[in-house]
Amino acid sequence: MLLDPGLNLTLRPMAYPVFFEMYRNAIKNTWTVEEVDFSTDLVDLRSKMTEAERHLIHRLVAFFATGDSIVGNNLVLNLYKHLNAPEARMYLSRQLYEEALHVQFYLTLLDTYVPDPAERAKAFAAIDNIPSIQRKAAFCMKWMDSIHDVQAARTKEDRRRFLLNLICFAGCIEGLFFFAAFAYVYFLRSKGLLNGLAAGTNWVFRDESAHMAFAFEAIQVARKEEPDLFDARMERDVVQMLREAVECETTFAQDLLSGGVVGLSTQDMRGYLEYVADQRLLMLGMAPVFRTKNPLGFMELQDVQELTNFFERRVSSYQVAVGVGAANDVVFDAAF
Amino acid sequence: MTVETPMKPTAATTLPLPPAPPVTAAPATSPQPAQGPAEFGTTTMRVRKRNGTAEPVDLNKIVRAVGRSCMGLSRVDVMRVATKTISGLYDGATTRELDSLSIQTAAALIVEEPEYARLSSRLLATFIQKEVSNQDIHSFSQSIAAGHKHGLIADRLLQFVQANARKLNAAIDPARNDLFEYFGLRTVYDRYLLKNPQTREVIETPQEFFLRVACALSGDNAREAIELYRLFSSLEYLPSSPTLFNSGTRHEQLSSCFLLDSPADELDSIYKKYSDIAMLSKFSGGIGVGYHRVRARGSLIRSTNGHSNGIVPWLKTLDASVAAVNQGGKRKGACCVYLESWHADIEDFLELRDNTGDEARRTHNLNLANWVPDLFMRRVETDGDWSLFDPKTVPHLTDLWGDAFDKAYAEAEASGVALRKVKARDLYARMMKVLAQTGNGWMTFKDLSNRKSNQTAKPANVIHLSNLCTEILEVTSQGETAVCNLGSLNLGRMVADGKFDFERLRANVQLALRQLDRVIDLNYYPIPTAADSNRRWRPVGLGLMGLQDVFFQLRLPFDAPEARALSQKISEEIYYAALSTSADLAEQFGAHPGFSETRAAQGELQFESWGVVPEDTARWSTLRARIQKTGLRNSLMIAIAPTATIASIAGCYECIEPQVSNLFKRETLSGDFLQVNRYLVRDLQALGLWNDSTRNRIKMAEGSVQDLTELPAELRNVYRTAWEIPMRSLIDMAADRGAFIDQSQSLNLFVETPNIGKLSSMYFYAWQKGLKTTYYLRSRPATRIAKATVGASGAAATSAPAPAPMAQAMPEAEAVACSLENPESCEACQ
Repeated sequence: MLLDPGLNLTLRPMAYPVFFEMYRNAIKNTWTVEEVDFSTDLVDLRSKMTEAERHLIHRLVAFFATGDSIVGNNLVLNLYKHLNAPEARMYLSRQLYEEALHVQFYLTLLDTYVPDPAERAKAFAAIDNIPSIQRKAAFCMKWMDSIHDVQAARTKEDRRRFLLNLICFAGCIEGLFFFAAFAYVYFLRSKGLLNGLAAGTNWVFRDESAHMAFAFEAIQVARKEEPDLFDARMERDVVQMLREAVECETTFAQDLLSGGVVGLSTQDMRGYLEYVADQRLLMLGMAPVFRTKNPLGFMELQDVQELTNFFERRVSSYQVAVGVGAANDVVFDAAF
Repeated sequence: MTVETPMKPTAATTLPLPPAPPVTAAPATSPQPAQGPAEFGTTTMRVRKRNGTAEPVDLNKIVRAVGRSCMGLSRVDVMRVATKTISGLYDGATTRELDSLSIQTAAALIVEEPEYARLSSRLLATFIQKEVSNQDIHSFSQSIAAGHKHGLIADRLLQFVQANARKLNAAIDPARNDLFEYFGLRTVYDRYLLKNPQTREVIETPQEFFLRVACALSGDNAREAIELYRLFSSLEYLPSSPTLFNSGTRHEQLSSCFLLDSPADELDSIYKKYSDIAMLSKFSGGIGVGYHRVRARGSLIRSTNGHSNGIVPWLKTLDASVAAVNQGGKRKGACCVYLESWHADIEDFLELRDNTGDEARRTHNLNLANWVPDLFMRRVETDGDWSLFDPKTVPHLTDLWGDAFDKAYAEAEASGVALRKVKARDLYARMMKVLAQTGNGWMTFKDLSNRKSNQTAKPANVIHLSNLCTEILEVTSQGETAVCNLGSLNLGRMVADGKFDFERLRANVQLALRQLDRVIDLNYYPIPTAADSNRRWRPVGLGLMGLQDVFFQLRLPFDAPEARALSQKISEEIYYAALSTSADLAEQFGAHPGFSETRAAQGELQFESWGVVPEDTARWSTLRARIQKTGLRNSLMIAIAPTATIASIAGCYECIEPQVSNLFKRETLSGDFLQVNRYLVRDLQALGLWNDSTRNRIKMAEGSVQDLTELPAELRNVYRTAWEIPMRSLIDMAADRGAFIDQSQSLNLFVETPNIGKLSSMYFYAWQKGLKTTYYLRSRPATRIAKATVGASGAAATSAPAPAPMAQAMPEAEAVACSLENPESCEACQ
């Protein structure tokens, strides 16, 4: 079983080919920070954006850089330890690389956006001093870190704790905090601002969507293998956790939007968070608790296929891995 | 600053809903004077007016302002726009912010109801009008005067406009604003309207902008200027972006494309080329440049007795240079490098866009194209060897094509000077791989391009490359830089009463061609080799856009035989009308100086080189005889450009392309715009099917309607996307059309999950069908972003909670075929 303690090395026969497929697909979407073009962002920051929008963006980028580090740590310290299937660990290894890439991306952004080293240090210090971020950190501590001391999930209670960690990780951190953070980026992009940030974030979002799908798949598998882990207490905890996550993120929104940003109000952001939280509950097969409609029209934009004019931006949709296997011989009669 | 938002403190776990519901009940066909909503009286929200005073936000005022733009729009809900606008405001916002927020709010509703596109575009038009008149500009002539005062407008235009002010001012027709879709007007406002250099406020309205361009291109004749203005503002034809950007300004660089011959194999020439490219990019030109003549890696450098590093380091420098020149902030510089397939650096060249490996050998800003001789394709066909050469040892190969090239290549092989030999299929497979991975590395065919060109009747005149978008094919040499001025007809606006209007097409071609020809004389040439070439050949590129709109209006599937026949007929008519007009011009002003060196002078027209016999041979014979007598004013006339930006201004689908999706996002410098297929929406509305659930299903299906079984099968067939149409039919259509295109066409091909097998077959077929060039290979990402706004409910409530973007990325059958757990059906492991 997926949550059995140990270090399983058996790839054949493969117990969970779905994880292996996810691993392969992830590799097809390799991108690098060097491909992102930030050239117009600086112009936007200097001359097109308001003080309030700049505040939003500095804090947001600092959060991203830190947030992805938190995710990376949890991957190594918890997920890798307890998800006992080599193909799942292959995926996690790949994910770990992607998290590092994201950190690099946001770090590069911050260095570009905030050229003054003292200012930069301040942006990162904000993570430790600002209540809205401290609240998020406390949240992570409460719901995720309790698993740290479990070396092997031998008891049902251990596995239950791990599963809750996994749900928090997938549903709240990647599935809610990051979704909220992406919303700010897409909001600015809907106003034509910070295309470099948006282009890179698009790729980050694509990666994060895959991470979330993996985690939810793992939750599903664990649940199928040990159905009674997911009892009424678990459901209560999950709802409680998501409610707290929405609260944390709302506090963060109030901070980010404190300067007054036209077109994005805290109550719309709150509505969006509730909407997203409901989506996570639905993904777990649970009833939604907020029943809020998504108020952010611009988020519709990121749900549809892009059509980039290359004069304007780089196209982000090409697949990276081709060239192996029989389908890759030169032939003249393949269907097209 | 402290901000009082109407939101409660967050401790409460109950949610404050957005304050919309109380007032949205009214369907609001016409603007309602809205006495009701006193709810907002209770907010403390204020706006700052332009004069600095603050006043409370007044819903009624917003409703009235929005309502004024709702004439004739029966499906928009004014109250909804107004309340949503207010919910996005913060205390102390400016009225300008309020106005632009209401525009964005309306625009965000386009996906629900296409009429909001009209509403948001009208709101934007009003917004622009306000911005202009706030600077005391109230007429066209005042706008030109202001532009001149700010140092933007050329003297000649100012004089012309002053002399004809009354006539021209009266010609402005604001009602034409209503032809714009929101994206179109937004693009015009963000990027095309002239701005005050200090305040960055626009100093012309969209209609004044069209008239300004028309005046600048009309040869100082008010009647002609107004005629052209009517053509532009009808959106039935638009000149290319550089013409729209620069007409009537002090830097009238109006050409879109420049084709530069490869630098010679020496340091001076290589550096001179960088500076030429920078000069041309600065004024909005797209660049194609060959690198065939520059020696390959390992070649001996006699003066220093060292070895060359080949072309990659030079291209790395070019890459940086292109990124640095940003076209005055209007759009980024762009450049495509062409390389002949026998050049010994071809493999390094094909790695330039990889995103792994040594960054010193990567060029992320350059586009790449293969300049492929027929001989290579024949070696691929017969699975033969292919020899790679250092141009230093075979400098003549670049200037030969057809039999002469084949012979010289064979001689070079026989003499043993080849640096290396590879399997032709291995190299071809690498080319396909690059296309699959990057969409770049376009396949363009050297021999076909030369054989079917009007300019290459004499062996000294050789085409060495195409341009940035693979639709221009013109002769270049060390002394000649080819230039092309472009414009495109919007076919989508030429359908009337369920029929395509050929009369209107012909009339429009005539006006358009005269305008394009005039650009040649008006144009400012940043480098002398461009001026020389353009005067000798006088080439222009008339193209088209909105072919898909025609098919949608006539409800024809893209690959239907009737569609194919209509497309061919349209291209034949355009070519015929263009040649006739150019012959008229030649009668009036004389043939272009190079005419005697063209195939047309010998009576050979484009379709003959394709072995095609047009429908009405008699009229072609008459025209041919006339051309041989009077000559042509232009050596080349037809080129189908990608029309990315002007298609969005005109509100139509791009050039000859099928739609990519029924619901997609257009990313531009001015932000992202959601585009819905308005033809589909109209049909779905008629069936009572256009609602949230349908929209979400289309979204989940990545813009496809093939699973919307309640939509009749014929319509599903009409509304297929590029991913769902066989590429063979696109290539066939392109070949049919090609017989009437004396340059070429930007033909994108679409393969959802490309592999080398598919691509090698497809590009081989394109070559066999005689296409001169192809453009991007479009594919889709291997994994997708999770849908944030589509409910997970449908799938999740039942059994399989994970939305699994992976599963979407791979169609079911392929996912199975790839699984290592199914070795029998797994192709990958065999």
